[in-house]
Amino acid sequence: MHRLILLLAILALAVGTTVAQAASSISGRVVNAEGQGVPQAVVFLNDPGSATAASGASAEMDQINKTFVPGVLPVVVGTRVHFPNRDQIHHHVYSFSRTKTFELPLYKGEDAPPVLFDKVGVVKVGCNIHDWMSGIILVLPNAHYAVTDAEGRFTLSGVPGGSHALAAWHAQHRGKLDDTTQRVELGDGLLEVNFTLPLDAASGRPAVSGARKEP
Amino acid sequence: MPSVSAGYALLLLLCCALPIRAWAQYDVEDEQRVWLRGVMDVRVVRGGAAPSWTDLGPGKTRYGGDFTESGFERVTRGVMSQLVIEVGAALPAGIRAQLQVNVQPDIAGDWDPWVTEAVLRKEWGAENGFGLQAGVMGIPFSLEHVGPAWAPEYTISASALNSWLWEEISVAALEAEWWHLTKGGLKLGAIIGAGFGPDQLARVLALRGWVLGDGLTGVNGDLPLPNGERTEIFDERDDRPAAYTWLTIGDAGERATLRVGYFDNNGDQDTAGVWNTHFGTVGAVLHPHPRIDLIVQYLTGEARIGDRTNDSSMRAFYALLSHHRRGHRFSVRYDEFRVEDDDQGNPTAERGDAITAAYFVELGLRHRFGFEYVWLDSHRPSRVPPDPPQDGWQLSYRFRY
Repeated sequence: MHRLILLLAILALAVGTTVAQAASSISGRVVNAEGQGVPQAVVFLNDPGSATAASGASAEMDQINKTFVPGVLPVVVGTRVHFPNRDQIHHHVYSFSRTKTFELPLYKGEDAPPVLFDKVGVVKVGCNIHDWMSGIILVLPNAHYAVTDAEGRFTLSGVPGGSHALAAWHAQHRGKLDDTTQRVELGDGLLEVNFTLPLDAASGRPAVSGARKEP
Repeated sequence: MPSVSAGYALLLLLCCALPIRAWAQYDVEDEQRVWLRGVMDVRVVRGGAAPSWTDLGPGKTRYGGDFTESGFERVTRGVMSQLVIEVGAALPAGIRAQLQVNVQPDIAGDWDPWVTEAVLRKEWGAENGFGLQAGVMGIPFSLEHVGPAWAPEYTISASALNSWLWEEISVAALEAEWWHLTKGGLKLGAIIGAGFGPDQLARVLALRGWVLGDGLTGVNGDLPLPNGERTEIFDERDDRPAAYTWLTIGDAGERATLRVGYFDNNGDQDTAGVWNTHFGTVGAVLHPHPRIDLIVQYLTGEARIGDRTNDSSMRAFYALLSHHRRGHRFSVRYDEFRVEDDDQGNPTAERGDAITAAYFVELGLRHRFGFEYVWLDSHRPSRVPPDPPQDGWQLSYRFRY
């Protein structure tokens, strides 16, 4: 009898484990303090110790019309990012962020070598010629992330089941990431999670567009 | 009584307890709201034997020779050509404030800073948008002055055409700008501006003629004339605003851009000392290859003065070819400049041609070394002598902060 109970317990555990490890999806919406959808927010799994370097991965942050495109680029730690300059003028891309300090002296086209982002965190990127140009490389611990659309909606697919720390980040959110992090239990199927991120006003330097290019 | 080591431990504990905001890896650094930049350009120069116009001589380059008892003499000298301070600030409501002052001792005659730009700017939109700018500024017609602090980008000395645009025009103006990218990939732009200040515009062209240089205008500046007088750059006498427009059409990748501009100072010739000057300019910037810049620009205009003693027509043209790779740039430019005397008063006619070759090497962002040689041939009958020797070179080191 004891053996039967033990067998049933093992079977139940195995079934439970199988259910918990099934790939599932998390979707939801990020809204600001007024309840409006927040585009360009990044929702990601921030489980402690989950950092997995993406060796060989690469990504691009373009410079088009004196603007970094995309303005926010999420990548997995270990990714090499190229900074092609599509403008007909030189740019001098740099970052003094603690997560990654680098400099790509004056160049055009695809002359600059890629930059390896080997630490998790935020890297703020600028151009030393055009002081209003600002971009962010968000270096994430794993590939489980999504960027919200214009309505603030996101979907994370292929997430392993189990307990996860799910965080939401936005460039204009001045609070701690811990404040936005939710503990979720993911079984088989779709889980809906919503976030509210109070945002500050954009604080970038005003741009100079059109024919009056700032030298 | 606690021991010394226990005291240090307590102090350490207190320090650790201070509410210092810890940096977290997902924090975004705050943007600086005020920023400061600067440029310094020092040179070794050896101009032609004819002393420069800045020394009241007949030379057309910024640096020339010396007057001696036996005539003109070539000299080599070290000079500080530009010292620029730029201050910018991000004001509330997305307004950008920008101030630029330049120190150019040879042109100004002293070390007083000239206010080259002091503007407020506000934009709406990004790829397609609209902007307003108000303050003291030059006009954006030069296709060469796109370097740091409005310096010429391709050569040390700008063409005769753009040297004039950036030495003599400083307006206190309100300017509206519109830019648009069509679905078909065309970039369109238009600037319309009106302002005060250039009531003596083209006086230097009539009395002195065209020159090649990199001096920048200043609202509080004045320029030397061959007769020993100085003409104020900003001199509003008739209270009638000048008007200008600058139109742009090009492809989205900026491989080919055409620009057309028109400026009219709307001067009232019944007011003493007011010149009525208007000109049009058309230019093209082409990038047939990502490493090649090809620029051509043409200007034509007229200047009239009430007593009909110095009425003149002016025209200028240049073609510039530049190749760059990494931090290296080599440029060559052909210049042509003319003034026609339109009355029977003082002789103002001149004709001239120049070829300029320049090589730059940039070391990082801060350092640039440059060398330039100018071959210049000009004839001005009212000048003594009418055809002075003016070929010369400059070696420049520019530091940018």
